[in-house]
Amino acid sequence: MSRTLRDDSARTGPGSKTPWAYRFLILNFARRDLKARFKGTALGWLWALAVPITTVIIYSVVFSLVFRAQPPPMGNGDTGHYAVWLLVALVPWGFFLNAMNLAPVTLLASGPLIQKVFIPAYVPAVASSIAVLVQSGIELAVVVLLLLALGNVSWTFLLLPAWIVLFIAFTISLSTTVAIVNVYMRDLAQLVSVVLQLLFFVTPILYPLDLIPQEWNGIPLRAIFALNPLASFIGAERDLLYGLQMPSTAVWLTLLGWTAGSVVVLRWVYRRWGLDVSESI
Amino acid sequence: MADVAISVDGVSKRFIINPHRRTSLKERVVRGSSKADRQEFWALRDVSFSVPRGVTLGLVGSNGSGKSTALKVISGIYRPTSGSVRVNGRLSALLELGAGFHGELTGRENIDLNASILGLSPREIAQVSDKIVEFADIGDFIDAPVKVYSSGMFVRLGFAVAVNVKPDVLVVDEVIAVGDERFQRKCFDHLFEMRRNGATIVVVSHALSLMEDVCDEVVWLDSGQVQARGDSRAVVREYLADINAGEAAKEGESLNDSGRRGSGEIRVTDVTWSVDDGPFERASVVAGQRVTFRIEYEAIRDLENAVFGLGFVNESGISVAGPNSGATRNWSVQRGRGSVHFTVDRLLLQPSEFGISAAIVDRAHVFDYVDRAYQFRVRSSGSDEPGLVQMPGTWELVPAGERMHR
Repeated sequence: MSRTLRDDSARTGPGSKTPWAYRFLILNFARRDLKARFKGTALGWLWALAVPITTVIIYSVVFSLVFRAQPPPMGNGDTGHYAVWLLVALVPWGFFLNAMNLAPVTLLASGPLIQKVFIPAYVPAVASSIAVLVQSGIELAVVVLLLLALGNVSWTFLLLPAWIVLFIAFTISLSTTVAIVNVYMRDLAQLVSVVLQLLFFVTPILYPLDLIPQEWNGIPLRAIFALNPLASFIGAERDLLYGLQMPSTAVWLTLLGWTAGSVVVLRWVYRRWGLDVSESI
Repeated sequence: MADVAISVDGVSKRFIINPHRRTSLKERVVRGSSKADRQEFWALRDVSFSVPRGVTLGLVGSNGSGKSTALKVISGIYRPTSGSVRVNGRLSALLELGAGFHGELTGRENIDLNASILGLSPREIAQVSDKIVEFADIGDFIDAPVKVYSSGMFVRLGFAVAVNVKPDVLVVDEVIAVGDERFQRKCFDHLFEMRRNGATIVVVSHALSLMEDVCDEVVWLDSGQVQARGDSRAVVREYLADINAGEAAKEGESLNDSGRRGSGEIRVTDVTWSVDDGPFERASVVAGQRVTFRIEYEAIRDLENAVFGLGFVNESGISVAGPNSGATRNWSVQRGRGSVHFTVDRLLLQPSEFGISAAIVDRAHVFDYVDRAYQFRVRSSGSDEPGLVQMPGTWELVPAGERMHR
């Protein structure tokens, strides 16, 4: 085992070990985050489900009872349930939201450690997103069980793992990138949480994309909304789980493109800034 | 290259000191980029050395000489601005004990976490976990969250983790000087054992005599550059000589320097000593020798009553002895230069490094006082007993039967 540090080449720098070499450490950090979060609370892990359940109840009441939103029919032909339809989209959104919000905080909180021990800057950030993932995984399992109970099942479920891999890679790359840049520009995290709030409403989560007019004052509004990567990711997941439709090849390629793009950006940001985080944190 | 544990090759490290660093987006947008008023600081300049496997290397130097930066570069925490560092084997850095601990987790959970920070796989962690618990020796607290630990327990656990992960290279900043006596001893024993087992150790400390004892080689850093490197005794001596020369120069240029106080009617100009009636100089002394100390003074007026005193302060700041002339006689001193002798027939100090303070007083009035201005070194006479002073006495074995008659 050997490590070389060099200024001129990031390949032999502290990043010479691949992220794979840090998998145990990342998992241990994630475990630490999870344990620390629920330690000393009376209900412990149950809190992990409290927020999504209340969110679904509130939005379901507001949108299906007050605004009388019509959910699309389920893939098996049954009448749509707004709460179920919403829940399917809220789970990935919750993962994205929490990962983006927590990664910068966790990295900054690891500052004292990073100044004393060599740890790649992405380790705490990725770990915090993985801790969020555990919670979202449980939620997703609940959703799948619910769909099974409703008899809304098809072979499209089998493609879910592929979607999951892409979405996780996309989200974690993005959250880690924000976490690293935030060390140098401390208000980026604040900006991101504002953007996330906006993003929640421009992403077709509470409403279907069809509800957006094709054109508005000459602006191709729906096409613009569809540019949002989360619209693509969440739309595809809804197709797989709720609509029981196979997303088109174009959609899959779009998802692949967003994922690859975010991984490339992370790599670039990590090499540019991530290796000197210990000096600025 | 297999027998080189660490090689540092032409390493420089630059820090950008920017008084108006833009750490927020808003500042960047509002005030623009700030390259103009940034300053550079070179913490290390073209530093090269290599450490063979199994060697203990010490880094000495004054504050700000780049020792800690060097440790951080070796540990991989900082990236060198130029040059390269190569470390063969697992490195465990002890820059701060328990740096990776999380307050909400129990000691045992933190062991897992910290060991994985230091690069162990889950299987390796399982193997060393019990040993760490045993070494830390904090009883049932091991299953309590570390936020309830005393600072001593915290440190014990931190050290236990760092040394029990079987590092090939251990980097130690001045962290061992914590914990109670018993634990400190345990730490040192363990470091020695690791050394015997072929571990490479890099240590930074201001305790120079310790560095001489523990290290095979010493690198002396000054303003980020290697001033000297080689045999620990030689380099430490060279470094000490440089410090003393620097202090002497400072004394020459300013009469009212720090560490000196008093009204100044009479001043100490020099303190030297003669060993076994040899010449007066500042040579090292072997415990048990006859030593005569000479305090030279200069008085600017006649004084009725002057008491001369010496203070022997060891490295830990403990005043070990403070002989003075007041107990035996009151001297009136004539204006001008002169000297006072103080003779010790057998010096009973244990081997150590002392700072000698000298004072001339009249009851509570201080004419002159110089704090630890002279380095006094007592070498070992062969029989090493613990403690600060020797205690001469007679040992006698009393057979069991005789005790009844006493």
